[in-house]
Amino acid sequence: MKTSPLPRSPKSLVAAGALAAVLVATAAAQDSQDSQHSKDPRLARLDPAARSLVVVVIDSARTAGLPTEPLVQRALEGATKGAPGTLIGNAVRRLAADLGRARAALGAGATPPELEAGAAALRAGAGPAVLAQLRRSPRQTITVPLAVLTDLVASGVPVDSAAAAVLALAASSGDADLIDFRRAVERDIALGAAPTAATAGAAAGFLAAGADAVHVNAGARDARPGRP
Amino acid sequence: MFEDRPDLVDRIVSHLRRPVQIDAALDGRVMQEIAQVDTGRRPGAAVAAWRWLIRPRPFAVSPLGALAMAAGLAAVVWALPGRGARAVPPAADAPREFQFVVVAPRATRVALVGDFNDWDATRTPMRASQRGGSVWTAVLPLAPGRYRYGFLVDGSRWLADPAAPHVRDDEFGAPSSVVTVGGS
Amino acid sequence: MRRVLAGDTGAYAMLVARYRDRLGRYAVHMLGDRQDAEEALQDAFVRAHRSLARCDDPERFGAWLYGILVNRCRTTGGRAARRARLFVRDDAALSGTPLPGPAERAEWDDTVRWALGRLAPEYREAFLLKHVEDLEYEEMAQLTGAGISALKMRVKRAREQLQIIFREAERV
Repeated sequence: MKTSPLPRSPKSLVAAGALAAVLVATAAAQDSQDSQHSKDPRLARLDPAARSLVVVVIDSARTAGLPTEPLVQRALEGATKGAPGTLIGNAVRRLAADLGRARAALGAGATPPELEAGAAALRAGAGPAVLAQLRRSPRQTITVPLAVLTDLVASGVPVDSAAAAVLALAASSGDADLIDFRRAVERDIALGAAPTAATAGAAAGFLAAGADAVHVNAGARDARPGRP
Repeated sequence: MFEDRPDLVDRIVSHLRRPVQIDAALDGRVMQEIAQVDTGRRPGAAVAAWRWLIRPRPFAVSPLGALAMAAGLAAVVWALPGRGARAVPPAADAPREFQFVVVAPRATRVALVGDFNDWDATRTPMRASQRGGSVWTAVLPLAPGRYRYGFLVDGSRWLADPAAPHVRDDEFGAPSSVVTVGGS
Repeated sequence: MRRVLAGDTGAYAMLVARYRDRLGRYAVHMLGDRQDAEEALQDAFVRAHRSLARCDDPERFGAWLYGILVNRCRTTGGRAARRARLFVRDDAALSGTPLPGPAERAEWDDTVRWALGRLAPEYREAFLLKHVEDLEYEEMAQLTGAGISALKMRVKRAREQLQIIFREAERV
């Protein structure tokens, strides 16, 4: 199987590389690779058809330098849930592609948890620019900001509002505060607040006075909950 | 004669829908009363319950020192009013113990399954509460990261955690939830 | 690995924390008084714990808790003093223009509370369950023991009465 011509710009090279690696590996599936994950005993839980689909993706991801553990876990999730092999293969393939995109956006220095969280954020609809911006915030790791962003979107917050809030908070808030922020937003949404207003309200509460205002176009000044 | 002003009622409703915050000390009072209710019937259980209630928590503390809420899982800390018992915060990247809870009264067995235990339904069986087995719990140490998980009831029925964030795209047709563990 | 020593008490404490605010909102509006509301809430949680096994469906746990709370509020509501206050002179608050700030919002809050307090309890109950807590009529029927058409009528009457009450207040 021939690979299609790859774009040359550096940003997409890695992502395209991961994808290309999958295509190449499909053709080279017969190669004996002493890959730890090919022989991962946990994959024995998959039926043979699913297993061969998954192993191909895992091996190419490994070759591309992407973390493979999330791929194994996704396959095991499918196995436990009794999903058909093609579904498992698709899910693992999609995750591998997302991990590649995450690495393109976050840079080669991103840790596996950051890549996982970044992949989920991209899948939830955050743009690579948001990931790149988070990368620049003065934090040791950005796993939790990425995860909080994803969870907010899953709760119904529009991705732009979620991204704005998380970006504003990421610079000055620790992981615990970010998780508390997310819980506050989810609680308010569960109690009937509109997602955007809940996000802006909670963010305003968590930001230190005098910090940049969070502009999430909600007219959010009066949305701060907590009055008795 | 009667002039309908639906917009007025709508405004009243939006006002009433605003979140209300109840003092977290209520939790302590509830638990104390429950423990007292036990005293009349089963003294041994009551003593055990009291001892549990007042013992300093041996595991990870949530930063606010309060019971965790809407995430569906918790680094549970029990602080009685006026006592202020706190556990020692762990090192930043050390695994912290988290408690998962689900209500499933008719289940005979419930397993906690997720990214943290290879989705292996035999790895983390949950424990039923002593009273009628409605409340199932399990505790797991979790290193910082983001994990998908669910509850498998009686080997065949999947339950997502009702109050935890759900996985947006559920690829396998069975619901999952997400837990995010911070490092600092 | 350090072990949790909890039986059901630790787990139940978590459930209390999780549902406390959600149920609290109903209790506060139904009873019009925070202290009464917390008392009813506490009562409801203790009773729920005693009869946990009777909750049939784990996914309906919240609704089942609600039912217990609605019942507790009916008992507590009989004892609570109603504070009826004539309040608002501010036409803006009544005419639907956007709320400008915290002072006005405080007045509006008092006004709404006062108006709610003037509703008959079963109308207030139905109104809150339907419009604030977003329950379906079927669920409300189960919780309150009333028929669906009776509940619909109560909600309708509640809406009408609220408008009448506000019109009266405007005239003062």
